[in-house]
Amino acid sequence: MKPIRQAQGKHFYSHIIELESLFVHIEDLEISDGEKNHLRLLADSTIHHTIIDAILSELNTEDKKNFLHILSCEDHNDIWRFLNTKVDSIEEKIKKVAQDLKKELHEDIKTAKK
Amino acid sequence: MSSHSHYHRLKNKWIDRHRNVKNIIWEKHQDALNWAINSFPAKQLVAGSLGGMLLLSAPSITMLPKSPLLLTKEQHAQDLDTDTKLMLDLKGKIPSDVRPLSLDEEESIAEILTKDFGFRVTSSVHGKKLNRSYGLIGYEQHLVLFPGDTIYSHFENDGEFQKFSSAGMAPGLSAWRYFAFSKHALTQKDILREKYYIAVQTFLAPGFDEHVAEFRNFFKYRKMLVINPENGKAIVCDIADAGPSPWTGKHLGGSPEVMSYLHRVDGAGVGPVLYFFIDDPEDVVSLGPATIR
Repeated sequence: MKPIRQAQGKHFYSHIIELESLFVHIEDLEISDGEKNHLRLLADSTIHHTIIDAILSELNTEDKKNFLHILSCEDHNDIWRFLNTKVDSIEEKIKKVAQDLKKELHEDIKTAKK
Repeated sequence: MSSHSHYHRLKNKWIDRHRNVKNIIWEKHQDALNWAINSFPAKQLVAGSLGGMLLLSAPSITMLPKSPLLLTKEQHAQDLDTDTKLMLDLKGKIPSDVRPLSLDEEESIAEILTKDFGFRVTSSVHGKKLNRSYGLIGYEQHLVLFPGDTIYSHFENDGEFQKFSSAGMAPGLSAWRYFAFSKHALTQKDILREKYYIAVQTFLAPGFDEHVAEFRNFFKYRKMLVINPENGKAIVCDIADAGPSPWTGKHLGGSPEVMSYLHRVDGAGVGPVLYFFIDDPEDVVSLGPATIR
């Protein structure tokens, strides 16, 4: 059974981290579609790296490897099952780092428009 | 300020952010990430979100089974920007299934590539074209450079020998036989032509059967731009052999060096590439890895 993966987006955390509000602001920029795509991809990848860093920072050496192994299998249920047993309040921690970064990215967009 | 300036300002800032977070994650968790790269099959990594991270950020790519080209962290950071840009430019232009492109699709893609790379990229030159310009690429062996060339005389240095000798030498000569008449006569150009060669199905090109000699001359060492659309890696190659046979299910072949650079593998992991002619009558476009302007 892989309902989370199939129903809720490409990343295992896509159901708790919304990027639409960020992408809407990118969409409002008067630039080409290719340029918008480039910005979206940079934002998405930066958030992804930040979340993975936050998770790995909570794990010991062996569990880092276990997590990367589970992550490579792309079964989102297994990923959450593992994280919930290894890290307290992992969902909140992921939401927090993503939210902080999104706020900074929003500010970057505002600044760039000035 | 113009919208273009907005974009560049924001893009540069976000590229810096991206580089920083990549550096941080690699500095903090290098052992685990290297372990993952060396432990999981390339195909498994490419498909998943872990691969998205590792392939785009690893300081060195070592998970490919066939002798990868090692890249520095800085090279990777630069490649991310150019490769990503190319991937995005091609997004929506390439069919989801690996089939021959329509004329419109070929023209549209050639136009993008010409603009991105700064030299003329086209699916046909002087009315001659291949049977297709999008297909599955297989793994070829090294070609004999000159009479007597073996796996022990083939490479320029020990590093290349270590990386690429496991591919072995092709048992026969290439479609155009030797690249040089002797080791003494071998030039740098000959070496690069073998290093970055592809084999294409010249014999299936429209008109080949009616004009065999003319077509053979046309295809000999003809430069092509080969692109892995799934990672944006692009390389300037030359046609130095004919093949593979249609029954293999593959449409072209790449030298070990070409396959390594493109991160393409053979067998169950075989994947598609775009391959378009480079119209380079002055011979100014260099063979080897290519990045967009």
